[in-house]
Amino acid sequence: MSASTLILLSYVLLAIFAVFFVLKSLKMARMPVHVRWELAPVPHEKGRGHYGGSYLEDAEWWTKPREKDHVAEATYMFKEILFLKALFEHKRSLWWFSFPFHFGMYLLIGAVVLLALGALGSVTGLVGTDMWLFATGYPLLAGVGYALGLLGAVGLFLTRMVEKGMANSTTYATYFNVLLLGSLFGTGLWASFSVSDFSGQTLGFIGALFTADMSVELAGILKAHFLLAFAFLAYLPFTQMMHFVAKYFTYHEIRWDDEPVEPGGKMEKEILELLGQSPTWAGPHVRADGKKTWVDIATDTGAQEAEK
Amino acid sequence: MSDKVRVKDIGKKELPMLSEVRPEELIPLPPPYDKVEDLPGFKEITDEKKERVVCNLDGVIASAMPHPESPEEEQKYVDMFVDGLKKLLSKENNWTFLQPLTLSLEYCIGCQTCADACHVFEATGGKEIYRPTYRSEVWRRLVNKYVKPGGKLIAPLKGADIDLNWTTITRLYELTYRCNLCRRCAQVCPVGVDNGLIAHELRKLFSQELGWAPTELHDKGTELQLEVGSSTGMNSVVVKDNIEFIDEDMTDETGIETETPFDKEDADVLLIHNAGEMLAWPENPGAFAIILNAAGIDWTLSSEEVGYDGVNYGLFYDDVQLARIAIKHSQAAQKLNAKRVVMGECGHQHKAMVTIADRVLVGDLAVKRESFLPLLEEIVFSGKIEFDPSKNDFPVTLHDPCNIVRNLGIVEPQRRILRYLCPQFREMTPHGVDNYCCGGGSGFAIMSGNNYEDWRNNVSGRVKFKQIIDAFQDQPGPEVKKYLCAPCSNCKGQIRDLLNYYGALDKSGITYGGLVELIVNAMVDVKEPFIKWEMF
Ligand code: SF4
Ligand code: SF4
Repeated sequence: MSASTLILLSYVLLAIFAVFFVLKSLKMARMPVHVRWELAPVPHEKGRGHYGGSYLEDAEWWTKPREKDHVAEATYMFKEILFLKALFEHKRSLWWFSFPFHFGMYLLIGAVVLLALGALGSVTGLVGTDMWLFATGYPLLAGVGYALGLLGAVGLFLTRMVEKGMANSTTYATYFNVLLLGSLFGTGLWASFSVSDFSGQTLGFIGALFTADMSVELAGILKAHFLLAFAFLAYLPFTQMMHFVAKYFTYHEIRWDDEPVEPGGKMEKEILELLGQSPTWAGPHVRADGKKTWVDIATDTGAQEAEK
Repeated sequence: MSDKVRVKDIGKKELPMLSEVRPEELIPLPPPYDKVEDLPGFKEITDEKKERVVCNLDGVIASAMPHPESPEEEQKYVDMFVDGLKKLLSKENNWTFLQPLTLSLEYCIGCQTCADACHVFEATGGKEIYRPTYRSEVWRRLVNKYVKPGGKLIAPLKGADIDLNWTTITRLYELTYRCNLCRRCAQVCPVGVDNGLIAHELRKLFSQELGWAPTELHDKGTELQLEVGSSTGMNSVVVKDNIEFIDEDMTDETGIETETPFDKEDADVLLIHNAGEMLAWPENPGAFAIILNAAGIDWTLSSEEVGYDGVNYGLFYDDVQLARIAIKHSQAAQKLNAKRVVMGECGHQHKAMVTIADRVLVGDLAVKRESFLPLLEEIVFSGKIEFDPSKNDFPVTLHDPCNIVRNLGIVEPQRRILRYLCPQFREMTPHGVDNYCCGGGSGFAIMSGNNYEDWRNNVSGRVKFKQIIDAFQDQPGPEVKKYLCAPCSNCKGQIRDLLNYYGALDKSGITYGGLVELIVNAMVDVKEPFIKWEMF
């Protein structure tokens, strides 16, 4: 594949990623308000989050000030994101692979940031790519990231195959996802060892993406690696690998959403609108006719029918 | 029958049963409950019965469904099921749970962390059909195949193909009643996927679209409650009579003049009991009356239809019924102009009314609602009542009702009371928000038809029973009387059945009851012991 084809393809794949990543994330964010479904522990409960307590432990809680501990919440999230705390505590056998898999990815995200900065700096002439950060720091970060990611991917693939429960709930698509990421890490690792000017070539390629320079030189393994990386990104929004975005909502907007309705507030208004919709459930006791709203249905206790 | 059940097997008509549950395969209990042969075992479902009703999941029947009368009828229900799948994922039909459900549909990574947290799965030594993700994965694949565009073409390629027929939907229906909706699995899920919610939503689909729900929850539950005022069948006249009788009984027993006010306007507290207490454990509403009167609380009960029964089984299977009952509760409070509604010792009433209904009871219906636990804590530590904790000097442990503790985060008030009033209080392991469900949650405690009660006692209640026995391991014999405090009606129903089934009063000296009974037992003014040791 020529460099120009790769660059053009990269633009297309990155555009697909950007558009669908935003659309998918917005879809999650724009869901209607749901009924309360909190689940202890809720870490922002000041002074009680550590044992799972909530403001409902107070008599006449509505007369007391609501105190939220945002630091505790952020600390919880930090430990969860960076170290996969839930998995560490509840499924250690998987954590040994899942942690390097995810941590490897975080290192690679760091490496990509360096890569982009270095490429931008070099394109604009502001920094030289021979700076330690780009010449040594970046390939080191990327190399460790690839190695950890690959270790995790192989471990996860094998665990899914042999562990009874996981094997049963793993579809071909999931195996494919792990394989895809595994080959992404694998090609990256291979390239970082085999391409003598790994850092220079990758920086050059990213720079070419910024400037649309179609004459850039790139080793074959690096072409394969970048192609895989961008294909993965374009595919990501359509998969359950978007769980890292979903997790924000499952934690903040479901498990930890213990916000009571304020009379006359924004949420009450939204709920009143939702209650004005007409459900079409066909169960005989629902007595929906496509016109009656949730309010009509919820206040119809069957008394009229009984009288008839 | 092997336990190599695959997700797609749920639709296999040729399998008479998906996976049978056998007592000898369950995890062992501590002595003296470790001999399977000493226990009654499961009632057998006769062939004649199987001819009449569907029994195709695990040999257990929660809700006896007739077989379809014709292929057309089968198709009709299959089509309705697909409609229901779509409605669950639509805003106008299911805004109440759309976001949690959609996220649980799309983002399970199949890590199986949830499986180790589930007491049903654990009790059976890991039976595949009871794995929290089993029913979720069935649902997920059905949605992917029958709801998503192009699903029928893509599903086989993904290795995610399931046939949809009468067998599939009846097995799935039964399977939704093998989950207590306790959400212990959701607590440990690294992604925040909620298998309990999925079971709940599937129950809703069956009820709200197909009109299928267990008789105990629907006909004899929410429908009866909306019709006569209580799922016990009691109308307001009977309730008032019963309470009058309980008051007389309490007066005789304790020497304290006990009177329960009814329909007092502008009271500070409108207390709503689970009406089942009045029939099964009358000492519980009696103890409430003694405590509230002794503390000088301005309180009342309501004799308004539904207003005297805090039960709301809609929480377990049907949003429409849930909303109808919650509105009735709120209207009862409005009518009396009560300052606040206080939930009695009933966990699901707490969850239905305090949190779930919070985003249903808007506008005028938004009466102030809270748990009885903080109120009791205030009373106990207010100095208004004199206590002698030595009257409670026997081993006491606490069961944490999932709906009060894991779901509402009310953890410490009950513990502060018990630490103060019960010198031998000890925790179960694990406890608090990590506690195990009693096995009667989500309506199971009142479902006993066919061999379902055997399943409850052997399977869903097994881990809890083990926890109870373990909590008293320092004094295991029956000579030391022990008290299991379970401040929830449904949990008490299940624990009563468990203790009876295993003969735990005779073998281990364990009885059970609520929290208010322990408080009254410790009152200096109550001369005779309030707790009886033969409470079955
Ligand atoms: S529900 Fe959560 S814990 Fe269970 S398999 Fe899915 S992601 Fe893992
Ligand atoms: S909600 Fe409870 S019973 Fe249901 S699958 Fe989860 S842990 Fe098991």
